[in-house]
Amino acid sequence: MTFKPKIGLISCSGEACPGGRISRAATLEVLHHLRPTDTVTICLPLFLAGDAGERGFAGVFPTITVDGCSKLCAAKGTAEYSAEPAVRINIDDYTGGRCTSTDEEMRTQSDNNLVKRVAQDLATHVDHLRQEWE
Amino acid sequence: MGKALGAVTRETIPLLPDSKSPHEYRTVCLPLLMTDDDESKRIVLESAVYTIDGCAKKCASTVVKHVGATPVMEILAARVLAEHREHKPETVLDIGDGGRLLAKDIVEIIANDGGTD
Repeated sequence: MTFKPKIGLISCSGEACPGGRISRAATLEVLHHLRPTDTVTICLPLFLAGDAGERGFAGVFPTITVDGCSKLCAAKGTAEYSAEPAVRINIDDYTGGRCTSTDEEMRTQSDNNLVKRVAQDLATHVDHLRQEWE
Repeated sequence: MGKALGAVTRETIPLLPDSKSPHEYRTVCLPLLMTDDDESKRIVLESAVYTIDGCAKKCASTVVKHVGATPVMEILAARVLAEHREHKPETVLDIGDGGRLLAKDIVEIIANDGGTD
């Protein structure tokens, strides 16, 4: 039986723009519903603070970073402190950059649809990474 | 990221500007602060900072201290929950009514400390 690693999902934990909420919701959708047995999440603040367990996992196994804005804290932090993420997702690429908006717009139905789109893309990446693992 | 109490702490953020003195508040993105963002560091060093942590690792509080600031209050969601056991959040996906009430409890703590209202 071939070993297939779980894929680490490292999501934005920020509150500066709506993309943060979307990134977390999409990550949790994959973790809890779409690929519950194939994924784990890594706590970004804990990772950046230097937790050995979080950094150790990301240094050995494939990770997907999900950033809420173009500051790309998750992707840059992962690359700097562990290893280059296998996939970098930026919510701004889906929205055209809405980080300036922090109002109630973030809770609209369109955002729920966006969460589903991002989650589905994440799940597809998870499948590819597990297939590619040797 | 995966804890209901963490979701509660984030739920407090949109509640703060709804208070009577919305301009007294601004939030600082924790990951950005952790990546040494100059603007975030400046805000933290020049402001009265309240940290709201979702778990005992207290990353928010730890990082604020690391950049050289001293939080005026370090709030741990679990401690607030211990005093309001009926306001227990449901899950990280949906913190439920209990979680939303706990978020309001946290906002009240900040307000009563002089943060606003």
